[in-house]
This record gives sequence, structure tokens and C-alpha cells, in this order.
Amino acid sequence: MNVAIIGCNGMGRIHARMASNCGLRIVACGDARLATAKALADEYVADSSDDCMAVIARPDVDIVGIMTPTPTHAQYVIAAAQAGKHIFCEKPFARTVPECREAIAAAKKAKVKLFVAHVIRYFQEFEAIRAQIAAGKVGKPGFVKMYRGGIFPAGADGWFRDFAKSGGVTLDSMIHDFDWLRYTFGEPERVFCQALRRATPEFIDYSMATVRMKSGIIAKVIGTWAHPSDFRVEVEVCGDNGMLQYSSAEAVLSMTKRAQSGVVPGMIVPESPMPVSPYQLEWQDFLTWVEGRSGARVTPDDALQAVRMATAALKSADIGQPVNL
Amino acid sequence: MAKIGVMSFAHMHAFSYAACLNELPEATLVAVWDDNPKRGRAAAKQFGTTFVADLGKFLRIDIDGVIVTSENVKHRSMVERAAKAGKWILCEKPLAPSVEDAKAMIACCKKAKVGLGTAFPCRYSPPLIAARNALVSGEYGEVYAVACTNNGQFPGGWFAKKALAGGGATMDHTVHVADVLRWMTGKEFTKVYCENGTLLRHGIDTDDLGSLHMEMEGGLQVSHIASWNRAKSFPTWGDVTLEIVAEKGVIRVDAFNQKINVYNDDALRAEWAYWGGNPDLGLIKDFVDAVDERREPNVTGVDGLRAVEVTVAAYKSAKLRKTVSVRLTRPSKRI
Repeated sequence: MNVAIIGCNGMGRIHARMASNCGLRIVACGDARLATAKALADEYVADSSDDCMAVIARPDVDIVGIMTPTPTHAQYVIAAAQAGKHIFCEKPFARTVPECREAIAAAKKAKVKLFVAHVIRYFQEFEAIRAQIAAGKVGKPGFVKMYRGGIFPAGADGWFRDFAKSGGVTLDSMIHDFDWLRYTFGEPERVFCQALRRATPEFIDYSMATVRMKSGIIAKVIGTWAHPSDFRVEVEVCGDNGMLQYSSAEAVLSMTKRAQSGVVPGMIVPESPMPVSPYQLEWQDFLTWVEGRSGARVTPDDALQAVRMATAALKSADIGQPVNL
Repeated sequence: MAKIGVMSFAHMHAFSYAACLNELPEATLVAVWDDNPKRGRAAAKQFGTTFVADLGKFLRIDIDGVIVTSENVKHRSMVERAAKAGKWILCEKPLAPSVEDAKAMIACCKKAKVGLGTAFPCRYSPPLIAARNALVSGEYGEVYAVACTNNGQFPGGWFAKKALAGGGATMDHTVHVADVLRWMTGKEFTKVYCENGTLLRHGIDTDDLGSLHMEMEGGLQVSHIASWNRAKSFPTWGDVTLEIVAEKGVIRVDAFNQKINVYNDDALRAEWAYWGGNPDLGLIKDFVDAVDERREPNVTGVDGLRAVEVTVAAYKSAKLRKTVSVRLTRPSKRI
């Protein structure tokens, strides 16, 4: 099968490699900035274009990978669905819940497979945590703490800095944790959130949320784009018969390059060395679904619910009160 | 030489305070009183001092100051008795379970012209002092947000009985951090949102975990976890941590993380051997000095009241499921 990648910056590059590793052929790369599209396309001897809609419409494309800025996702998902392509869309699914709904409806109507890349569901450490909980090692869980983040991501043209577009760390990064909470502990009841979203004197974001699950479990979720360096992920689950903790700071492998003057990392994508990377696993899962062999671990509705949680958190931060889900 | 007495060993911190008194050359632990005579006698024996069974008699002997380490709901009556007897007082935190009690205690001590301190030893923690110094220096610019935790193992006993404790983990483990933040930033709390409940230690009649979101003057955003969520098998009692997000950088403090990991085959449980400074010693030394100098302790009753106001607002918020304003009682003038 042939793949088109649109959005050829950080995540586009990763997903092109994963798709290629799965034996798929990258035939076209689209990006609003032609040079970015071409740089990636050249690695796979593919065509490049600054017209993403034209790339999506190509008859030789079977799968469209959408790694563009969040507010553009829905329009590309809809276009790809209408063109009869299967869709692999980076998280967050879309900027708003109604956009998610429109995208789901379009995919349903076109009978194409729509997958949203909530990669944390494929992270081996997160699966190990779920397995420990399922094995009863903490007893009945009552409290969860999730922490994720580091530097403010640069992104193409600094689009993350436009909080209205990116939703800041709350939508772009904590959506991983919101999704994983739902995946592991069931449906949420309400959310409260404080989110800095500062643009002066520097761009920083720091977001602190509490999610009350329908089961009564309390989850504290903290996301940071406020640190001068590094990236850290921490999880703690406390139950009535034990607790567990995970921290990426206790890394199996740490490699730090001396800083080059003027070079700022565009984005830090966390990954621990494994025989098969979680990004590879999500492509494999997506493809088994595309091939009709099984369902995928993430449904479009899961992705919508994650956007719902994150946008409710942002609403809470705006009004200073909890928001019911 | 300050002559100090301890009123009640109901709170485990009393054992540390008594040890500090014995360690300080400028203090003498003169006597112990406890409404549980068995507990009081054992403690007096442990610390090489006299047990006095009758409270009236205890307050008539030659003691300059008392440390009140009873169950929370008894703080008020004990503090009032001691104040009326002219004793300087250091009261365990929380100062009281209610704003009304805390106010009455402050007023009573003021009237009796005795000093009243609240036992917030974190102000004497070297890592927390270092973090505060960095903030006060201005090197980090404006503080925008702080994410805190005060987790602990389940204390059991009266701590989990509403009639004696007045509240659960949300009360027990919010007051320290509330005081630390006031001390570090010089700002007061303005708003609180809290989700809490009995999530881990089923069958107790207090909450065992609270997740708080607070705002301080100038819009400073604060997240806090107040809990008894540490497993029995956890290698230590708990933690006090802060991640401070400021204009010019981030400061992380894990205040009790000065430890050695110990794996002893007899214990069959990993343990942390703590080698950091003892904040309790600084707290007790200040109280002893305050007694000697006839001054207010460094951390006052009003500081205790401020932390109580935050916890009271937290319980109100959890009940109403909405953000509530922190109502600051007009501070009493220093004596």
C-alpha cells in the first residue's frame, strides 16, 4: 500500500519511517512549506508538494498520514475520507469536539479506517503499569498522578505558541494522559484545570488538572512546557493494597549532546530503546485494522473523548470552575 | 534555661519534639502531662522526665512554656488552659480544625500576653530554605505556578476519626504546604478548589486524599496533593515536594529526599535512611528562644490560622464542588 504524509516536520518524519518500516511505500509528502515536504520526500524518493489537498487526492495513495498542526486535522481527515483513503492522524484528533464529530462522520460515510495516534497506549512502560494494576498489585486504585513535559516545543513556524490553535500543553500533551486515564480507569466525571498559557516575557505553559473519574478515582495530571531543558514522564498509581511509580528520569539510556550555539531542539519525542518502538506498534495495529484482521486499540470515539477531556480542562482554566463531562 | 512541658503524646511528632528538647542545652523537659496517663507515663520515662497526672497541678509547677501535641480537636481547650496559666505555647499543626477555634486560641493567648506558635517545621528545612532564598533573591523572577505534594502513609488511630481529628488527609497534609507557600512568596491564598474523598483506606470516617487547586494573590496558581496514599511497604513515611515555575526558571524541591537506600534482609522491605537536617530541631530551638526572650515564636498562631482558613475553604469547596474564596480573618496584632 502507498502512503502520503502531510505535515513533514517532527512527527511526520517519525511516522514516515514507521510506515516505511511496515513495508509501506511513501509516495508523496505534502507540507505548506515546500522545502520541508521536499526534505522528507527525498529520503523516500517520493513526490513533494505544498498543496496538501492535492497530495491527498492522488489516486495512487491508499493511506494518508496527517501530522499537520492540530486545527487543520479535521479538514484533511474529511478530504482524505471523501477521497476514499484510510487515515492515520496524529493526536490531538482535532481542535474541537464538533470537528472530531464531523471527521468521524466523514470516515464512516466513506467506509474508510480512521485511526488517531494515541501512542501512549502502545508504550511498553504504560502497558506494564496496566498489567500490574490488572494483576491486583496495588489493590483497588484510588489515586493516579501523571506528569509529562519539559521544554516549550518549537514546531513549524512556532504554531504551538498560538495557544488558541495548539491548545497549549493541556490539549497537545496532556491529551496523552487524559486518554490513558480513560483507557485504564474508565469514564471521567468532571475536570478542574489551571493553565498558565503565558506569552510574555517568554512563551511558557504549565497546566495542572484534577480529573474525577466516574469510579470515584481522583487523578492529578500535570503538563509542562515551562522547563528550560529536558523531558520527563512520571506516573504514580495508589490503591488500597499498594502503589506503583514510574519515572522516565530513571532512564535505561541517557545520551546528551553538548549544546551547539543557536540550535534549539524543535520537539523532544520520548522513547526508550525497545526491540519494537511504540510508534512502530501503533502502525502495526493500524495496519491490522486496515487489513480487516482486527480492530485497533484506539477508536475514533476514544480520540474524540480525549479531545473532550482536554477542551473541558481548558474551559475550566478559563472559567476557574470545574467542568462536568 | 527554658523550662518546657509537653501536653499530650497523642501526636507522634511529640516524640521528636521531646527528643529535640533533650538535645538542646538551653532547654529542659521538666514534665509531661497527658489525658492518657499510660501514654504520658511511658513517654515521661522514655525521655527521662516526670509525669504529672493532674492538669491543674502540671500548670502550677515551674514551667515557662508548653508544647501541645494532642488530638486536633483538643488543641483549643489545652491551649486556653495553658495560656491562662501564663505559659508560652507551641501548638501542633493544624492549629485547630476550625477557624473559630483558631481565632479563639489566638485571642486567648493575646489576652494572657503569652506567645503562641504553630509547629510548622518545614520553615527550618534546609532544602526549603534554599529554595526560598533563591526566590527571595529575585534571581528567578516572578513565580507563576507551584505544584506541590504532601503525601504520607496512613497514620491510623485518632487521625482517621473525625470527632478527634476534625478532618482527614486534606487537613493534615495541606497546612504544611500552605504555610511554606505563604512563607516563600509572601502572598496570601485567595481561592481554593478541592476534590477529596476516602479512596484508599476504606471504612474510616475522614477523607484520605485531597487534590487541591489554589490561587494566591497576584494570580499565582497552585496545585497540591494532600494524602495518606503511601503504601505500608513504601520505604519511608512520605514526602513534601514542590515544583516552582517562575519567570526565569524552575525549582524542584523534594524536601526529605536526603536518604540512603537500605536493603536489609531482616526487614524484607527497602528503607530510606535519612541523613538530612532535622527541621524539628530548628522549630523547637526557636520556641525555646522565644520562651527565653519572651517574644512571639517565629511561626505564629496567625500563621497557623491562615493555613486553617485554606483547609476549611478546601472542605467547603469539595462539598459544593466549586471554587470558593478563602476568607481571611483580620490578623491579630503581634504581642
